Amino acid sequence: MTTLLDRPVPVAPPLVRDRRRWAWALGALALVGWALAASGLFSGAVLNPGGVAQFGRFASAALRPELAPEFLAVVGESVLVTVAYAVLGGGLAVLLGAAGALAVARTTWGRRRAGRLVVRGVLAVPRGLHEAVWGLLLLNVLGLDPWVGVLAIALPYGAVTATVFAGILDEVPRGGFDALLAAGAGRGTATLYGLLPQATGSLLSYAFYRLECAVRSAVVLGLIGAGGLGYQLSLSFTSLRWEQVWTTVYALAVLCLAAEAAGRAVRRRAADPRAGAGRDPVLAGAVWAVLVLAGWAVWFLALSPATLVSARAREQLGHVLSAAWPPATDRDLLAAVLAAAVDTVLMSVLAIAFAAFGAVALAGLVARPRSAGPVRRIAGGAVRTALLLLRAVPPPVWALVLLFVLLPGVLPGALALGVYTLGVLGRLVGEAVEESDQRPREALRAAGAPPAAAWLYGTVPSLAGPVVALACYRWEVAIRDTVLVGLLGAGGIGVLLSASTASFDWPAVATVLAAIVLLGLAVDLLSERARAALR
Amino acid sequence: MSALRAARSGGPAPSTSPLPPPFSRRALLAGTGLALAAALAGCGSSAAEDRAAPLRIGAIPDQDPEVLQRLHGTLAGSLAAGLDLEVEYRPVTDYAAAVSLFRTGDLDLVWFGGLTGVQARLQTPGAVPIAQRDIDEDFHSVFVVNTATGLAPSDDLGPLAGLRFTYGSETSTSGRLMPAWFLREAGIDPQGFPGGPGFSGSHDATLALVASGTYEAGVLNEQVWSARSEAGDVDPAVVAYTRTPAYHDYHWLLGPRAVERLGEDLPRRLTDWFTGLSPEDDAEVLELFGAQSFIPTEAANYAQIEQIGRDLGLIR
Repeated sequence: MTTLLDRPVPVAPPLVRDRRRWAWALGALALVGWALAASGLFSGAVLNPGGVAQFGRFASAALRPELAPEFLAVVGESVLVTVAYAVLGGGLAVLLGAAGALAVARTTWGRRRAGRLVVRGVLAVPRGLHEAVWGLLLLNVLGLDPWVGVLAIALPYGAVTATVFAGILDEVPRGGFDALLAAGAGRGTATLYGLLPQATGSLLSYAFYRLECAVRSAVVLGLIGAGGLGYQLSLSFTSLRWEQVWTTVYALAVLCLAAEAAGRAVRRRAADPRAGAGRDPVLAGAVWAVLVLAGWAVWFLALSPATLVSARAREQLGHVLSAAWPPATDRDLLAAVLAAAVDTVLMSVLAIAFAAFGAVALAGLVARPRSAGPVRRIAGGAVRTALLLLRAVPPPVWALVLLFVLLPGVLPGALALGVYTLGVLGRLVGEAVEESDQRPREALRAAGAPPAAAWLYGTVPSLAGPVVALACYRWEVAIRDTVLVGLLGAGGIGVLLSASTASFDWPAVATVLAAIVLLGLAVDLLSERARAALR
Repeated sequence: MSALRAARSGGPAPSTSPLPPPFSRRALLAGTGLALAAALAGCGSSAAEDRAAPLRIGAIPDQDPEVLQRLHGTLAGSLAAGLDLEVEYRPVTDYAAAVSLFRTGDLDLVWFGGLTGVQARLQTPGAVPIAQRDIDEDFHSVFVVNTATGLAPSDDLGPLAGLRFTYGSETSTSGRLMPAWFLREAGIDPQGFPGGPGFSGSHDATLALVASGTYEAGVLNEQVWSARSEAGDVDPAVVAYTRTPAYHDYHWLLGPRAVERLGEDLPRRLTDWFTGLSPEDDAEVLELFGAQSFIPTEAANYAQIEQIGRDLGLIR
């Protein structure tokens, strides 16, 4: 996604409309329409007014979070655990991604397309499963070891990072690379000296974006027992102690804010390097800070590489693999998987449609304007805080809370994902607005257009590309996230997954996981096509 | 000639930035080496100390799990003092995870529900039940309905079939398995219900969802229902409909690796310690589990649960 944003804008875009866009737009509309119809929005009651009081309890607790000193001490320690997992998971993901990028890059394979396709297919497996699913699988192999949390973040993130890094490597100017090859250097040498230096900025900027995401993932992992904020949140959530839930949510929000502010500072610097020789102190300081944090986290979590190769891990891996092979293929299960896959797609489409619509509607307020009055500043700050809280509350909590005021079905699950995704997408679209070309809007304003019209005609058209790219990227993520919200009667493939894990039916688990990976791959290919059509 | 010497001897000023380079390649390598060394330092500690490893316990009570998890020192300390053993409490939130960790030997002694206890025992040959609470040999679930349904309390489960219905957690014995069994006994498809049954995830969530009317009926553990009713925490929109016949539920299960490590008499010592807890001297521990006392138990007590679990497809 970031690759797309970082890509240099074509100098003179053709002023001809691509007819394919119509087909894609109509297809997208039809899909959203189908999803809306399937959610029961047009065919009966979906609201449950009786649950307003229960929802109110959740909402009003936001104003009086638990502040007892003992609980704050617990939360403080949990913050450290979450930071440790996020830094190690995100950091390892970047390392894995860097190694993987060379294996996926077009540069490496040259004309040998088949090999590249195989590697991409292999990467789809770690990438297609949610961090929480990885956590559950790793827990069965490694037991209660901090590696479970670290790898659960590092494996899926590493695969995503590899794809993005490969994209970056493939798209930097190739003059130096070609010259080195022509001079007789090997491919590896040519990549190291001809491509890498030019790609460093984009690579660094994406690496820090991944670290930011790792904070939120570390929390979701806590839900399955990896400790930290997510663990405390899930304990309090089980007994519906909303005051405690909000305290952990606020702690998480502060953590996210810090990570995002640091990440943004690094990305700004990477996108706009200072003139002159010598290293940039901000970038170098950031890299150092991450290295020091990672060293501390290894000590803090008592991470030991020996666990990974221990005899017990091998024995347990053998146990799980032999239990899961061959995957279940009975007709009932396959039919259920197919039906659940359709539900999952509809749920994710609804979620993304809701989030994209909301993100575009709020984008004007989210972006920090260069000059604005105090009212506009306060409104912008309020919206940004609201979005921060939307993404700080994990999807399973949203699913229960929304279920108080909505009747069971696809809708509460979809909305839970949508609300959470809005929190993420709103911020990304806001940043895209900040980075977009302001001149058309300013010209319209200067010509006397009212602010709303200037926004509509000056800013929105240039946002279409980035917004569609971001929405496609989050669509893939939403497919994986549906496993988190499926349980509460919302349906989707998450229901099958949790039913099969609850009964330790490993062959069925294998089948369901394969289905999730295939679904993710299909959505990935589809959105790649869609983005290509919009380019 | 170095830039510095050049400058000193009046040559052209060096064109480097005023700041020294933040880190050199050598510094980076040294840092990486240091991190690796730190990582490896924790290495040699896995297999060698296994024999002296402490008794690792875990518990996920149905009621107020956050209280026990945050006061776990009470239980671990009390057990350690009583048995003169090193006891380590390991936090887990999820029953399926606890079953797997019991199998891998990461947890030695776990407070399991009826169904999860059977799942753990089937996956871990040699595991033995240690003790149960006084209330666990006569455990019940309560079906609750929203007052808007207008249903009066009755022993006939039939009217529930047409309502939106939610269970608790998927692998809960009192919130899923036994109620599903009694529903089937009454001729109701436990996976039927309009729109399929929900899984609220916890007993408290079941109460809240039935109170909101999103689900018109639900089922939960009687212990939680009584505790919440006595505390006045139950929304007036939720009323009890009926309670199930009795069954066995929670128990402490001990894994075989701990017995190998800590001695053949460990099961007996543990059972003695649990059954010896008295409301006068050990009120804190008993209160954490909502019990008056612990009593012995045996695997045969859970044969019915195993059979039902197989019938309902929850045990393979």
